[in-house]
Amino acid sequence: MSAIGLIARDELRLMRRNRVALIAFALLVVLTLVAAVTSWTNQQAITAQRAQFQETAEQAFDAQPDRHPHRVVHYGHFIFRPLGPLAAFDPGVDAFTGNSMFLEGHRQNTANFGDVRQSSLLIRFGQLTPAFVLQVLAPLLLIFLGYGAIARERERGTLRQLLAQGVSGRRLFAGKALALGLVAIFVGLPAMIGFALIAGHPGALAGPMAVIALGYAAWLLFWTLVVILVSALVKRSRDALLTLLAIWAVGVILIPRVAPDVAGQARPLVTRLETDIAIQRDLRQLGDSHNADDPFFAAFKQKVLDQYGVSRVEDLPVNYKGLLAIEGEKLTSGLFDRYANASFATQAEQSAIMHGFAVLSPAIGLRRLSTAAAGTDLTGHRRFLDQAEAYRFVIVQRLNRLQADAVSYADDTAKDAGADQRKRIAHRHWDKIPEFAFTPATSGQLVRAALPGLIVVAAWLLATMAACWLAAGRLQRNLR
Amino acid sequence: MNPIRHELRLLMRARFAVAALLLLALLAAASVVAGLAEIRHQRQVIERIQPQQATDVAAIAEWVSKIEDPGSAAYYTFHPTWDSPSSLAFAALGTRDIAPYILRVRALGLEAQLYDGETFNPELALPGRFDFSFVLVYLAPLFVIALFHDLWSSEREAGRYVMLKSLSRGRQLWWRRAGLRFGFLYAALAIPLLTGALLSAAPVQPLALILLLIAVYLAFWALVAVAIARRGWNSATNAATLAACWLVLTLVLPTLSHIVINRAIPVGQGVELTLAQREAVNRAWDIPRETTMQRFFANHPEWRDTPPLPVDFHWKWYFAFHQVGDESVSGQVRAYRQGLEARNAAARTLGWVLPPVGVQAALARIAETDLDAQLAYQDRIRAYHSDLRKFYYRYLFNDLPFQPADFARAPTFGSSNDPRNGRHSGN
Repeated sequence: MSAIGLIARDELRLMRRNRVALIAFALLVVLTLVAAVTSWTNQQAITAQRAQFQETAEQAFDAQPDRHPHRVVHYGHFIFRPLGPLAAFDPGVDAFTGNSMFLEGHRQNTANFGDVRQSSLLIRFGQLTPAFVLQVLAPLLLIFLGYGAIARERERGTLRQLLAQGVSGRRLFAGKALALGLVAIFVGLPAMIGFALIAGHPGALAGPMAVIALGYAAWLLFWTLVVILVSALVKRSRDALLTLLAIWAVGVILIPRVAPDVAGQARPLVTRLETDIAIQRDLRQLGDSHNADDPFFAAFKQKVLDQYGVSRVEDLPVNYKGLLAIEGEKLTSGLFDRYANASFATQAEQSAIMHGFAVLSPAIGLRRLSTAAAGTDLTGHRRFLDQAEAYRFVIVQRLNRLQADAVSYADDTAKDAGADQRKRIAHRHWDKIPEFAFTPATSGQLVRAALPGLIVVAAWLLATMAACWLAAGRLQRNLR
Repeated sequence: MNPIRHELRLLMRARFAVAALLLLALLAAASVVAGLAEIRHQRQVIERIQPQQATDVAAIAEWVSKIEDPGSAAYYTFHPTWDSPSSLAFAALGTRDIAPYILRVRALGLEAQLYDGETFNPELALPGRFDFSFVLVYLAPLFVIALFHDLWSSEREAGRYVMLKSLSRGRQLWWRRAGLRFGFLYAALAIPLLTGALLSAAPVQPLALILLLIAVYLAFWALVAVAIARRGWNSATNAATLAACWLVLTLVLPTLSHIVINRAIPVGQGVELTLAQREAVNRAWDIPRETTMQRFFANHPEWRDTPPLPVDFHWKWYFAFHQVGDESVSGQVRAYRQGLEARNAAARTLGWVLPPVGVQAALARIAETDLDAQLAYQDRIRAYHSDLRKFYYRYLFNDLPFQPADFARAPTFGSSNDPRNGRHSGN
């Protein structure tokens, strides 16, 4: 057996004798399994519930009685964001964003009822998911098991003996890293088994799953090397432990909290209330629909009359009020898009600033990789919001078109007792309004989105490897 | 030589201890600065929406006053509400980053407006905020562990333990050392907080409560650390054991409890409530208008003796069915709220067993940034919304013209119906 293998075997034997280490290891494995099971059942429950809500909303929409189309525009529609299967591994921002949305004419509502506002304060302590266990807890276990690997030998004087026997510093280092690396594999394995369970789930995506597996493997390898590295550089094992705990606390807990605060302060968002006011102001500048002499609407009216070759709206073959509704929706919708894009641009800048902190903490890079591949990052949420707005526009315009074609202008403007009934159109129309079908990101899109995070984690890993190579080489020199 | 001064000199000579204390003070100061900046930003937002809102109302008043129609005024005019941060909110930002602190409402159905969210970047909210409560709850225990874990073992490892123990009053030595470290840790946290509180003119009583909370929380961790440190293990084992305690108490058990609480106390989804309210509101178009009016008058007899509905559309019917829609889901609203409160109460009860949770909850309560504060804000919106309805109904049901000057007569938020006035909130 090679020297590396012997050293690794010795180190593992020592770990096995350490009862505290064994208990900690067992606890982490149990915790991973609990996280995987609860996270998966949670994802299933959420998916089922949202599908059921969606079904209820569709039925309610189709079951409407005969109505004026504009009533249906305001009755609106509810849609729910489906949760991708990989959210069982890393739910990302899902709990922090609303997942239901009310769509209606000339208003853009927020996505409401996110879990974060329906849960106790505990949700801010983090969520027990496989991703959380691997990101936050697994490195700590590696620290506990490995901090003494080389520092202990140095403290006891056995390091000098080993090196004097002709074992090179690099081999010694490699052996210790191999032992801890094997532990890391067993730490990551339960989560990967949970992951494989999700893979059996139809609709799971092989590409993003591979990126996640690769990313977390790199993350655990990174910590394995950091632990051995610090153990090799520091004189006493107590100091190695404290140094590693400090690195962990700063890198995994502190910086990921500071980064978003800096980003939020640097690029504050415009509030929804201000956006609402601004949209109303812009609309008034485009044209005042309440003013009969408004130039914009007068020009629109003239254009419609010319198009049909008539001189009065009453003579049009279609309902002018419907055409007006279509034009109005086009205006408001254009503004919604403009302001939403501006807000998302700011949010993207915020996220970019936050991701920049990955230079200080690879945990930020890993989280980016993980949520991007699972489709549960800001981009994933935006995907839903964009599709929701597009769908809103489609159904509202379909209904406005119905008002133009199926309700006569005379009926629409009548105010007599029977007018209300004449304005209504048959309920069979509601059935024909398309249903909302969310298009999830493709495997390729998710993989591409996860690449920047993967590069960050890989860069940290490579830098650590280089540091290990240097430190291991000096192990011998420093003793002489 | 004064033994305390001697110990002080020893502590100051330990570079590691001094660096740790300075770092903690720095982190606490940074968190206070960040919290103050966030609160200042929130106040500025509340400040700056007022003129924008006034312009918006003026533009509506311009065309509505030509037709003097109270229905259009009530339908188109939004009224702002806001939840000013308390002067201690900087210490624990709580839910103020994910729940709106400004919201505008109109006299239509409230249940369709009350749960609207604010625009925020969920990626920034996910990791949680860097505020004083974070430094206290998560980071301070790590510093306690760093300074306390080797109180005994370091002397043993340096070979001085037997000698020190044999000294007369040897026991006092350890307590002096522990007390001194505790004092410095406390100062590193309390001084930045106190400075922040002075800057934001916080009242004495809640501030004193927070200062006490810091002491109790630090004492808890110091006791845990001493209990482990005295067991005679080596320094590394002590540190590892304490770090494991910290991990279990601040990360593992809270996240596990979160799952348990959310499963044990299902909250009737807010979605169901809004779906039901929408059905109730829209059904009004398909049933006789008198049915709606009778249901409305049953709860609001003060408007019964007003002119009957005309043949064509009348706004008072429109607003009546919105209110009837709200009232038809009042049971669900209560159940939803009770579910939220039950979850919160469960978490708070857990706080008696898990100090990190207890301290976090207590801080947010004192800072008025927790769920209770959020619900209290919703109550104030409800009260204000009810005032708005009464205001517009007087015109609608009596067919009074709505004149330009009437826009200024609408009730404003935060005057009579704001119980927070005269209390320790700023603004």
